[in-house]
Amino acid sequence: MRETAIPRLGVGLAYQPALRPFIEQKRDSFDYLEVVPDILWTDLGAGRTPRYVDDEEGLSFLRRMAAGRPIIPHGIGLSIGTAHRFNRDQLGQIEKWFSWFDFPWHSDHLAYNLAEHGADEINAGVTIPLPRDRETLECLAPRVAEVQSRLAVPFLLENNVYFFDMPGQEMTDAEFLNALCEETGCGLLLDLHNIYCNSRNHGADPFRLLDEIDLSRVVELHVAGGMEHEGFYLDAHSGPLPEEVWALLDYALPRCPNLGGVTFELLGSWYETVGSEGLETELRGLRALWNRHQPAPAPARMEAVA
Amino acid sequence: MSAPAFQSALARLIVDPDFRDGVRERRGEALAADLTPLERERLLAVSVDPGLDVTRTLHKGFRLGKLLAYLPLTRALFDRDTLAREIGEFWRRRPPVSFYFLEEALAFCEYLLERIEEGELEVRYLEEIAAYERAALELQRSRPDGSRPPLQVVEFRHDPLPLLAALAHGEIPAAPERRCWLFGALEDGRLEWRLAAE
Repeated sequence: MRETAIPRLGVGLAYQPALRPFIEQKRDSFDYLEVVPDILWTDLGAGRTPRYVDDEEGLSFLRRMAAGRPIIPHGIGLSIGTAHRFNRDQLGQIEKWFSWFDFPWHSDHLAYNLAEHGADEINAGVTIPLPRDRETLECLAPRVAEVQSRLAVPFLLENNVYFFDMPGQEMTDAEFLNALCEETGCGLLLDLHNIYCNSRNHGADPFRLLDEIDLSRVVELHVAGGMEHEGFYLDAHSGPLPEEVWALLDYALPRCPNLGGVTFELLGSWYETVGSEGLETELRGLRALWNRHQPAPAPARMEAVA
Repeated sequence: MSAPAFQSALARLIVDPDFRDGVRERRGEALAADLTPLERERLLAVSVDPGLDVTRTLHKGFRLGKLLAYLPLTRALFDRDTLAREIGEFWRRRPPVSFYFLEEALAFCEYLLERIEEGELEVRYLEEIAAYERAALELQRSRPDGSRPPLQVVEFRHDPLPLLAALAHGEIPAAPERRCWLFGALEDGRLEWRLAAE
């Protein structure tokens, strides 16, 4: 076992290129920037050397913003649940980012987007849910271990949003997340808006789910707004938090003893609609809630299976 | 081990409407033989779940948004139905392979130019504009070895200056006929175009 200090960072903002003016002008409104690193490089594909081409202009912006503000990578390209191969080339990119930004944790999605297609692969461009089965955990465990062996900071996986469910799964959402953390030592990036979406679309009680999840494994929370579409509620990152997500956050914050931060996600194309003031209002509300429930300055410690 | 086959089929249910329809209509016959009974049961259940169509909408929205962001002028030339038909046919031939869509946008330009050459597609100015945006994308393509992209030459039969200016605002002008060429190069990281007329 090893222990890693989790700094209590506070309120984070998910980076989008369209938010750059806000990020530059309102730096005091957030405590860290979360960045999908995949949008700051181009992946030329497996077998190409070099495979990745970094976006130097985007990185230059981030380096300027990194002065006094942690940069936390939140990947979309690892596809850690892909059964036929592990996209480990991506880990080299994350290691490079670690040397540049020295982040206290990093994360990706508990899902897959890459799948076999004849002799090639397809990339669905969406996070496809994994069956909540023992076989899935057995696929994930060595991969999480490999990530942890290559980067000496906690690695988190984000609970997925899903619009269809599969029959005959061996575990509930909570049982699966708890087993994942227990058996692999990874932490959780708990997306409360995903929980809200799933509860609305599938009729579950989100507070009960929070009671069932081992919240000591949660290092980061995500919050966002969404929208209705053809009878479903979408995790669209399209605006302010719904009241129900504020309530979930209010419930979760004091119950997560090892929390490092809560991140607001807004898609760049909605920034004009929400506006600078609207975004600032959301961040201010998050900080007020954070300060009410997470006042302890002492760094949290997270145990991870070595 | 059939998990790869299961994941492949589940991903295809999302990205490939012909495959999805085949699974819905012929039930298990369209699925690979090496799936377990439980995997087959799951895929059949998902194939008729309304949540699958929502997931497909999200997949399509993501892919379409990324593709058209690279081709704003080409997009401006099309009416909604023709564009949907052409993209649908293009996607039928080319499954999604990456989060990075510049290559897909280049391939879509090639596809459109082939369709024009085969006489299957007739959209005013499209041959010139698709060739122009293809050339611009070639210049922007990532070159990890740091090499300069080759000079691009685009032939126009209409005056490109009013044509490109109007399309940039989403309008289709009555551009005067004028045989000329645009020469494109990357200078200090910026696209530079020079006009040469007959």
